[in-house]
Amino acid sequence: MPLQLDVFLLILRLLLIVLLYLFLMQVVIAITRDLRKSTAASTDMENRVLPVIGHLVVVDSGPSSILPGTSYNLEPQTSIGRGPTNTILIGDNFISGEHTRLWNRNGTWYVQDAGSTNGTYVNNQPARDPIAAKPGDIIQVGFIRFKLTA
Amino acid sequence: MAQKPSMRAIKNYRWQELGLFIIPFLILLMEMLQLLLARSVREGVVATSSLNPKNFPTIQALIPILGLIALLLAVNIILSFSFRKADQILLPLVGLLSGIGVLMVTRLGPNLRPFPDPSLGTRQLIWVILGLFVFLITLFGLRNLNWLSRYKYTWAILGILMVGVTLINALRVKDFNSPNHDQLNIGPLALQPSELLKIFLVIFFAAYLTENRDVVAAGNLRIGPLRLPPFRQLGPLILMLALALLLFFGIRELGLALLIYGIFLCMIYLGSGKISYVISSLAIFFILGFIGYSLLGYVRDRFTTVGIDVVNWSAASEAVYSTPGGGFQVVQGLIALCSGGIIGAGLGLGHPTVVPVIQSDMIFTALGEELGLAGMFAIIGIYLLIIYRGYRIAVEAGDPFSQLLAAGLTSIFAIQTLIISAGNMKLIPLTGIPLPFLSYGGSSIIANYIIIGILLRISYNTAQQREGLA
Repeated sequence: MPLQLDVFLLILRLLLIVLLYLFLMQVVIAITRDLRKSTAASTDMENRVLPVIGHLVVVDSGPSSILPGTSYNLEPQTSIGRGPTNTILIGDNFISGEHTRLWNRNGTWYVQDAGSTNGTYVNNQPARDPIAAKPGDIIQVGFIRFKLTA
Repeated sequence: MAQKPSMRAIKNYRWQELGLFIIPFLILLMEMLQLLLARSVREGVVATSSLNPKNFPTIQALIPILGLIALLLAVNIILSFSFRKADQILLPLVGLLSGIGVLMVTRLGPNLRPFPDPSLGTRQLIWVILGLFVFLITLFGLRNLNWLSRYKYTWAILGILMVGVTLINALRVKDFNSPNHDQLNIGPLALQPSELLKIFLVIFFAAYLTENRDVVAAGNLRIGPLRLPPFRQLGPLILMLALALLLFFGIRELGLALLIYGIFLCMIYLGSGKISYVISSLAIFFILGFIGYSLLGYVRDRFTTVGIDVVNWSAASEAVYSTPGGGFQVVQGLIALCSGGIIGAGLGLGHPTVVPVIQSDMIFTALGEELGLAGMFAIIGIYLLIIYRGYRIAVEAGDPFSQLLAAGLTSIFAIQTLIISAGNMKLIPLTGIPLPFLSYGGSSIIANYIIIGILLRISYNTAQQREGLA
């Protein structure tokens, strides 16, 4: 007996729904795998101990409550700010959420303002674009002045 | 030993995306087959009800959908070469949605009332193809996202000017109690600049909030128990919002006003993390809404429609139903949804065109009728996955501007889908905004592809930054 057209259409309809849900399942599986991969990657990042290759020592704490002489460790990629994601966390009202970025390339330090309100200065030069800094230079973040040491 | 370039190209190919494309392609081909068969049944070409190889459509009839499939594959190949690390999941989801949209509009076109339009599906297909090109242009063109944030005022003003021009057109109509779609007619094209305005506004909000995040989050201005950001920082934000809302009141697009306000709420919450801002903005929203309700007659009509009792049909329901511009559209839409049942009537086998404006505002009910509750859930699932993926890209992005931008753009999808589908189901007053990727409309499709382009670009930049650090 030949297949009736309306039966065929019904089969197509059911098949469509099955395929739609199969597709959704495939996407969900792909997303889950992705999620697991990125969690693994981020734990890897956390477990790796970053070497300390420099320090920032407070010379003038400005209006903040930090004691002069406090020393902060520098990593090859360091960010300073008030937000919780920064490497160096400073809870001062004149410091922006993400204030300054410092990075080390081939032994030289580079300082750049990260779009802060009160600016970043290296030896009183505004660091809107990356500025190279050497040990002994004065880096001003907001109204706090640091000395870069090795 | 260095790998051969061809080997590396194979290894770096976007296999995941290709794999995810297989089922959507099958679905699209099957649906096209079903549509053609259903059409021949309707037109009485097939006299007998038995299945016969002769009844099957020829390969030529499948060309439009094959073309779309080929184009999606081409995009997959291009992305494999240039943007290997961009998100691989969004495109199959979006491709399937726009394919279903093209099929549905192709199906609706010839049966539209009162003016049948057999070429509607072809035009939708052309828009999707253009959309894919715009998507690629966005992806390649946005080398530097800072460029978007630096010229934030330019974008906002550009968008507002474009809508301003349509407002002047709308004012010529001078009928303040009827809803009017904003359209800018340039030659044969009817553009909706408001679709682009929403993207520009999100860019502006994201850039502005990133720049003034600290001040906005600190909240130094006290009004009673509320702490608000100081006026100097709040000013430009409120100004842009007010201008946008005013324009939408002017062109009488309340759905878009609601959408923009919703995005504003999302973004101010994401930017500051303060629920008090959201509560105070919501309070202002209700006050504004009440003013709109008492001033504009057609807003009141929309609310009366929500109150219509469909189950116990009474004289009051009948009155609302039969007033011109009253409940007819929504009630017919509900009947369509209802008649679809669980597995639906099958594409091309229902009668969705009884509902006015079925091809754009009410396409949700057409899908509900022909794909059924099961199909509808799957489509909502696709939307959910797109939204999930968008927020995921936002969470993983490296800098605050990209995060806010991705989250804001994703919120457009979420809120827009919510407003229009809830409106179709008579949960909130119906407002005419398109369902992303499914509704007929060139501007909407292109705007949505721009959004997807920006999202993929952000995910690509994030992946590149990660690689640079590792």
